[in-house]
Amino acid sequence: MIEVKNLTKNYGDRKAIDTLSFKVSKGEVVGFLGPNGAGKSTTMKIITGYMAPTSGSVEVDGLDVFEDPVEVKRKIGYLPEIPPVYGDMRVIDFLKFCSRLKGVPGKTMNSAVASAIEKTSLQDVQKRMIQNLSKGYKQRVGLAQALIGDPEILILDEPTVGLDPTQVVEMRKLISSLRGNHTIILSTHILPEVQANCDRIIIINNGSIVASETLADLAQSQSGTCRIGVQVARDVEKAKSKVSLVEGVKHILINGMRLDIEMSHSSEGIEAVATQIVESGSGLLEFRIESSNLEEIFIKLTSEKETSMGGVQ
Amino acid sequence: MRAMFAIAWKDFRSLVSSPIFFVISGLFCCLLSFTYIRQIFDFARRSMVLAHQGQGVNIHMSVFASHLSLVNLILLLAIPVFTMRALAEEKKMRTYDLLLTSPITATQISFGKFLAVFMSGMVLLLIAAIYPLGTALFADFSWGPLISSFIGLALLMGIYIAIGLFASSVTSSVILAAFLGMVLILSFWFIGQGAGFSDDPVLSAFFEHVSVGQQFVSFLQGTLKLTAVVYMLSAIALFVFLTQRVVESSRWR
Repeated sequence: MIEVKNLTKNYGDRKAIDTLSFKVSKGEVVGFLGPNGAGKSTTMKIITGYMAPTSGSVEVDGLDVFEDPVEVKRKIGYLPEIPPVYGDMRVIDFLKFCSRLKGVPGKTMNSAVASAIEKTSLQDVQKRMIQNLSKGYKQRVGLAQALIGDPEILILDEPTVGLDPTQVVEMRKLISSLRGNHTIILSTHILPEVQANCDRIIIINNGSIVASETLADLAQSQSGTCRIGVQVARDVEKAKSKVSLVEGVKHILINGMRLDIEMSHSSEGIEAVATQIVESGSGLLEFRIESSNLEEIFIKLTSEKETSMGGVQ
Repeated sequence: MRAMFAIAWKDFRSLVSSPIFFVISGLFCCLLSFTYIRQIFDFARRSMVLAHQGQGVNIHMSVFASHLSLVNLILLLAIPVFTMRALAEEKKMRTYDLLLTSPITATQISFGKFLAVFMSGMVLLLIAAIYPLGTALFADFSWGPLISSFIGLALLMGIYIAIGLFASSVTSSVILAAFLGMVLILSFWFIGQGAGFSDDPVLSAFFEHVSVGQQFVSFLQGTLKLTAVVYMLSAIALFVFLTQRVVESSRWR
C-alpha cells in the first residue's frame, strides 16, 4: 500500500531523515516511534505530499506521491501535530468545508460529515465555534477532518499529545475502532499507545530506522538478552573494560558510578560479569538483573549515549 | 473548481464577518459620505454660476472622478489589510497543512484566495456605487464614463489584491504581509514618476505604460482601452501566478 524507498530529507546541513525505507501493507496499523526530533513528522509530511524529500521516493498504491500528488492526497487522511482547524468556524461548517476540499460529492457530503462526527463523538459540539473548544475536542475535530471522505490511509501525527488522561484513553479507543477499515500510520513517543493499537512498530532515531518489526517479534528478538544494572564504588572505567571482555556482552553504558550492561541471557555470562567486576576491585555495591520490556527496548534502541559494542542487532 | 469555490466562499465569509472588515467599511462609508456631499454642493453652486454665463460643468469629471479617486486611495490602504491574513495566517495557525495535504492544486488555492478577497472588495465598491446611483435619482448624466470607471476600479482592485496575496504568501507574519503589500502597491503607483526623471523618450514612454496610474486615468476618462484592460489583467495574472509559485514551492522546498 505504502512503499517508502531511500527517503532522505535535509534541512540545510542537518539531515532530518537519512535513506529511510519501509513498506506498509493494506489494513496494517503501524506505530511510528521515536524520540522528539527523530524525523517522524518529516517522514509523515513527505508521505502526505506536504513536502518533498531531498532524494528517494514514496509510492502509495502504486502512485508516486510527487507525480500524482492530487490522486495520492485523495487516498490519505492526515492529522498533523497541531490540528489544522479554523477557529472562526463552527465544527459542522468546518467539516463541510473539508469535504468540499476533499472532493466528496455534494450528494454524499452530509452523510460523510455526519459519519465523521459520529465516529469522533462530536455530536454535542457540532454547532460550536472551534476556537471555544477544548484542546481535546479540537484534536477530535482534526481527526474528524482526516476521516472525511473515508480515505484508505490515515496518517496521524501524535494524536494524543496534549490531551488529559481520560481524553488519551478515549482517543486510543477511537483509533482502535478505526482498525480494519483503514491502513493507519501513527506516530508517537508514548509507548503504551503503540502497545494498545499497533500491529507493527517502526522505531526511528536520528532519521534512520533502528527497528521495524511486529511487537511480538521485537519482544522475541530482545528476549535473548538481559540487562544488568551494576553500581560500583570507584574505578567505573576499569570495571567497564573488564566486563567488556566477557563473551556475549553487547552494550555497556556508563552513568555516573553505574554500569548498564546488556548481554545475551545465560547464567555463565552473568556469573562471568559478576566475577570480572569483583576482580576489577571497583567495589561492587549493587548487582541487579532487569527484565526487558518495550520501554527498555525503545530506550536502548534510541539511546544516543550508548557505547556500542557490536551493533544493535 | 468546487474546492476553489469552497476556499473562496469560506474566506469571504470569514473576512466579511471579521471586525476588521466592519471597521474599514464603516470608516469607508463615513469618509465617502462626508466628501461626496461637499463635492456635490460645490458642483451645484458652480454649475449655477456657469449656467448664467451659458456654460455647463461635467458632473463626471468634477464629482465622480474625485469620488472614485478617493475610493482608490482607500482601497490602496484597505486591500493589503484584507489580504494580509489570506495565506500568512494559514501558515501561522498551521491550517496551511490542511490545504497542502488536500487533493487540490496550488492554482486552486491561489485563485480561491484571490476570489475571496475580490468578493469582499466588491462589497466596498458596491458601497461606493451607492453615491453616484443616489445622485441619478435627481440628476441626469451619461452612464458610460461612470461604468468604465467602475470597471477600471474593479480591475485596479484586482491588482492590489493579487499583490497583497503575493505579499501574504511570502511571510507568516500578518503585519509584515500588510506592510509589504502596501509598499508593493505604492511602488506600482510610483513607477510612473520614473517618467519625469528620464530624458530618454523611449524610457519615459515605458515608465508611463507600466504605471498603474496612467492606465487608470484612461478608464476614469471614460475610454475603455483594450491596452489598459490587458495591462490590468496581466498585472493580476502575474501576481496570482507568483503567489501560486510560492504556494507550490512549499511542496518541493
